[in-house]
Amino acid sequence: MTVVQPSVADTVRRLVITQLDITGPEPRPDEDLRRWGMTSLTCLGLMLSIEDTFEIELPEDALRQATFRSIDSISAAVESSREQATRIAGEQRKR
Amino acid sequence: MSDPTTKSTEPASAAGAERPTSASVVIIGNGALGLFLADELIERQVGSVVVVGPSHRDTGASHVAGAMLGCFGETTTESLRTEAARTRFELGVTAHDKWPAALRRLKEFAPSDRPLQTTTESHIILNSVGAELDTVNFAAMIDALDQYEKPWTEIDPNDIPGYRPRTESRALRAVHLPEEGAVDARGVLAALERRLRQRGAIFVDQTVRKLVGSDEEVTAVELDDGHRIEAGNVVVAAGVHSESLVRTVFDEPELMPIFPGLGFAMIAKRTAGEPFTSVVRTPNRGFACGLHVVPQGGGLEYYGATNRLVHTISSVTWMADVRYLAQYSMHQLDEAVATHEVVNWCSGNRPVTLDGFPVIGWMPLSGLYLMTGTYRDGFHCAPLLAEHVANELQGKSGIIDPIFQPMRKPVATRTVEGSIDEYVDHSLAAWFETGAQAAPQMTTSQIADYYRNMAVQAYEQLGADYALGPDILLYAQGNLHGARRVARYLRTVGGDGEAARSAEVGTGTGGTR
Repeated sequence: MTVVQPSVADTVRRLVITQLDITGPEPRPDEDLRRWGMTSLTCLGLMLSIEDTFEIELPEDALRQATFRSIDSISAAVESSREQATRIAGEQRKR
Repeated sequence: MSDPTTKSTEPASAAGAERPTSASVVIIGNGALGLFLADELIERQVGSVVVVGPSHRDTGASHVAGAMLGCFGETTTESLRTEAARTRFELGVTAHDKWPAALRRLKEFAPSDRPLQTTTESHIILNSVGAELDTVNFAAMIDALDQYEKPWTEIDPNDIPGYRPRTESRALRAVHLPEEGAVDARGVLAALERRLRQRGAIFVDQTVRKLVGSDEEVTAVELDDGHRIEAGNVVVAAGVHSESLVRTVFDEPELMPIFPGLGFAMIAKRTAGEPFTSVVRTPNRGFACGLHVVPQGGGLEYYGATNRLVHTISSVTWMADVRYLAQYSMHQLDEAVATHEVVNWCSGNRPVTLDGFPVIGWMPLSGLYLMTGTYRDGFHCAPLLAEHVANELQGKSGIIDPIFQPMRKPVATRTVEGSIDEYVDHSLAAWFETGAQAAPQMTTSQIADYYRNMAVQAYEQLGADYALGPDILLYAQGNLHGARRVARYLRTVGGDGEAARSAEVGTGTGGTR
């Protein structure tokens, strides 16, 4: 049986909806989440849940409000962080 | 590893100085803690002592300290509320008694004719600028003075030499503390260096890149240019840089975070009016150490200080801090300050641990000792801590409480509810101190509600039930870097007050070799 993994964007969307307690219509991927109630404090909680869920550590320069502006921008940061982690792991294996 | 009991050197570098290749003890950090420790070790003839640290001391705390020799003037409502806090407070009380002898030793090495002790007394003023927090801290100070049977008298604020605030900021009450003075921090550091050089300590004017060793021990330090100094023991007393240095060899998640408490002060030459002859200060205030002036001798006065926890270690100065300090010194201390000539812009970083307590003790790796986290009173506590650390390096019993062991769980001194109350009190104090304006119909309780809501949400988002101090909570709720460090650390160590209370202090078991 094939297990279909949710995409990064799907998982981010789910985390955003949970974090912002959204019911009914959902934000578009490129929509500014501040319109959906994102504050500096909910951003903080979202950052922690993103890192926990994806088991990543966002790079220092990604720890700013702009990263959490939309589902798209968050997904991009997660993808970037994963690629970076993969690259570093590969380099370590070569050594 | 070579015999660390004998000092050896190699010809050095382009600078022409000789640099050691080994030492009995390498102290990383040339601030007050490092230098007083070096002096104590040399006094005890433990072998060769090398102090590593850049001579400019940029980003450090000691060289820009106000260096008030005060513990009662620093009292807050938290100082004696719990046993742990009382233990911390008593570090200062005990340290205070060490200073007369320390100053006698240093007198002949003073860099100028100016006395190292610039005043022997303080005046604590209570004005109406700083909100309720000032009032309760002022009361707590008097209560502490009585508990410890220390002398104090209430005086007319108009009788304080030099104290000439604007009418609207005038003090309502003032207390004279005849036993709490101040030293010239820069003079004391210079005197210590002169004394140490004369007695054979070696100074290396560089920074340490990493500690060198294995999973079990630390055997050397590596400087920025790759030069290594082998060491019998390594003491990390590098203030806000200490945590990252330790992590070069012991990168464990349960290591207590140390945050930079960026502070700003000014040393100015008085150009008019009657000079201050004592420390004149407010009680400790919102998220900071209160407004104070410290006579420096030679017509100079030190005005301090701000405090903000930041992510990046630097020696920058915020325009807001310049405005704050200049304006409030003029308003609340002496109008004549307006024409003072600033001769030294002081910016540095206090080492602030997550639980607010120092980290003093052996690390799990043998040969590695940590001595930092002293926040606002490292200078004042330095002679006492030097004796304690020297004892431990020699395998003797320490002279301070083991609560400060670096691998402890965070010390719990409050409940989350209490932490939120405290955060609201500090926020309100900061609101009024900084002259923040609200719509005329907005009441203080409405502003308090706003801050309370922020604090409650911050705890929810952090997922923490360890009760943070107001400064750490402010930092964590306003900075994603800070939030991540706080949240991760608290998850690692349990993060709850129960875990913190029940955890036996995790002693560093490394010890000396």
